Amino acid sequence: MLLAIIHDALKNLSANLLRSGLTMLGVIIGVASVIAMIAIVEGGQVWLVNSIERLGTNLLFVWKKRMTVEERRLYAGRNTKLKYTDALAIRQKFPELTVAPVDWFDGQVKAGDRDFNGRIHGTSPEFSEMRNFFPARGRFITTVDLQEWRRSVVLGKTIAKVLFGTESPIGKEVKIFLRVKNRKKVNSKKKKGDSIKEEKKEQQPVSEYRFVVVGVMEAKGEIQGKDWDEMIFIPATTMIRYFLGTDRIGSLIIYVPDRNRMDEISQKLRQFLVQRHEGIRDIRIRNQGAFLSTVEQTLSTFRIVLGGIAFVALLVGGLGIMNIMLVTVTERTREIGLRKAIGARRQDILLQFLIESTTISIIGGGLGIILGIFAAYGFGNVVAQAMPGGGDWGAVVEPTAILIAFTFAVGVGILFGLFPAMKASKLDPAEALRYQ
Amino acid sequence: MLIVLRNINKVYKAGDVDVPALINLTLNIEQGEFVAIIGQSGSGKTTLLDILGCLSHPTSGEYWLDGDNVNILPESQLTTIRNKKIGFIFQTFHLLPRKTALENVQLPLMYARAPRAIQHDRAKELLTMVGLKDRLYHYNNQLSGGQQQRVAIARALANRPALLLADEPTGNLDSQSGNDILTVFEKLHQQGQTILIITHDPLIAQRAERQITLSDGKIVSDEVTHPSSKIMV
Repeated sequence: MLLAIIHDALKNLSANLLRSGLTMLGVIIGVASVIAMIAIVEGGQVWLVNSIERLGTNLLFVWKKRMTVEERRLYAGRNTKLKYTDALAIRQKFPELTVAPVDWFDGQVKAGDRDFNGRIHGTSPEFSEMRNFFPARGRFITTVDLQEWRRSVVLGKTIAKVLFGTESPIGKEVKIFLRVKNRKKVNSKKKKGDSIKEEKKEQQPVSEYRFVVVGVMEAKGEIQGKDWDEMIFIPATTMIRYFLGTDRIGSLIIYVPDRNRMDEISQKLRQFLVQRHEGIRDIRIRNQGAFLSTVEQTLSTFRIVLGGIAFVALLVGGLGIMNIMLVTVTERTREIGLRKAIGARRQDILLQFLIESTTISIIGGGLGIILGIFAAYGFGNVVAQAMPGGGDWGAVVEPTAILIAFTFAVGVGILFGLFPAMKASKLDPAEALRYQ
Repeated sequence: MLIVLRNINKVYKAGDVDVPALINLTLNIEQGEFVAIIGQSGSGKTTLLDILGCLSHPTSGEYWLDGDNVNILPESQLTTIRNKKIGFIFQTFHLLPRKTALENVQLPLMYARAPRAIQHDRAKELLTMVGLKDRLYHYNNQLSGGQQQRVAIARALANRPALLLADEPTGNLDSQSGNDILTVFEKLHQQGQTILIITHDPLIAQRAERQITLSDGKIVSDEVTHPSSKIMV
């Protein structure tokens, strides 16, 4: 019986191929957009979380806070700003944490007649492991480098290639100097109003030092808009001594072994540092975990909004089904009358039309899944190309999303088929038989 | 007695006006009779057919079919009665499109929840009986009017109904095909099938053994036209 009804439904649908196709299109578009929307947002989330996790997890970032002019005047001469010694103090006070001081300046690296303008980072050995970024050849900065202010340099992959080509750079000598122009801000802070001297300084580099290349980093590529293969690392102490001339440090990166204690540690660190800075709140702490959950929250809002819009499309598809089923019922009034006359019960007629509408939604849903997957990957590629550094943003088609979209589509078919089917089942057989 | 109609009234409402279609109609039909109900259009023929076919309830009166008091049964049981006890034949054949002759005949068996093999065998047997053995898998548009009506007869007989109800069965056919159909009816009658034909054509009515003339919702004459044929009492 059921088989015969399904057979009938398929026959009737194929008899009006264009009409059935157009009705299905509503469901197809609905299901496809649900799947594509969810897949794209999902892809975005995976991409973001990945790109964060690829640079190490469980990290706290401590920055010096930019102060207002008034604050600066107020705290003048007091022991403020993040310092290299803060890193050492944290290590002593919280032995379970790993701390890496990080600062940078714009400099130039020269090897023979080749040079490269880049960001030169001063940091400590811990940085490598914390950020999940390791040397491919040679070694990273060591404790000895740090203690003896050694002039060792670790080059990013791209830089090694630019400066040395295919040759191994390990043990080779490079010259590094500060590009004064870019330290203008620092200088102008130190000597207010002395702009003529500054201009002169720009002409000639002041400090140029020889460094020995001790390592080349592995390829990491571009993450969050930053090319990690163009980084240059020197010991933090060396940077302070030769280039910065002050033991202030831009930031600290701190690894917390226990993810659940990140908030707590973050609080404690803040207290500790503020205390060290004579009670002045001149630091900011960014909690990577909190940042991640903010990102996830934002994305799930996106998912709800986009998914919601797609579900509306699916509902509209359902209205299309209802519309066409009402037409079908009217068209086939005489058939319904005949079926009732020869013994079709109400539920037989109900089932017949419900199966027809459900067939539309099942086929439409199936095609929608295929289209949705294609659309998701296609659109994912477009997004990836449009976004700087979004190279590996791919849509992630979740089986659950497919299941939800398909179930919803079938539900829509049943729901919107119900009214026309009820209408059909309630027709008076005598009237229906003679319907013109 | 197969059919007993007692004081049947049927009133249609047209706006505020009541339009009587059948007035105090009383009628008995025996098992195995071949009856023609004849009347002008508007005489109440169709209304009578609807009531006899359990397609609608009378406004008042009693209808007994094969021992069941039909007018007190709910719609769901009327459906079963239509399926099991009544075979319908219509002027416009009412075959379902996009179905073969065989599938059309199987339909009442399907609604009777008969097993598929039985549906198939019974339908084939009936089509063979009406002379369409080589047309089993033809669709409506591949069959002539007469052939379509014979498919409809086979369908009507599917569940061995107590009553065969035919509404102008030859109305859409040429005289030759019409004659063929009436011959089928006569054959069925000889096998003991109760047949009731509704028609406006006296020539067709003459083929039946009993003619009931209807006018303005009342029976105006009821006569046996073929005294020779045997009426089982």
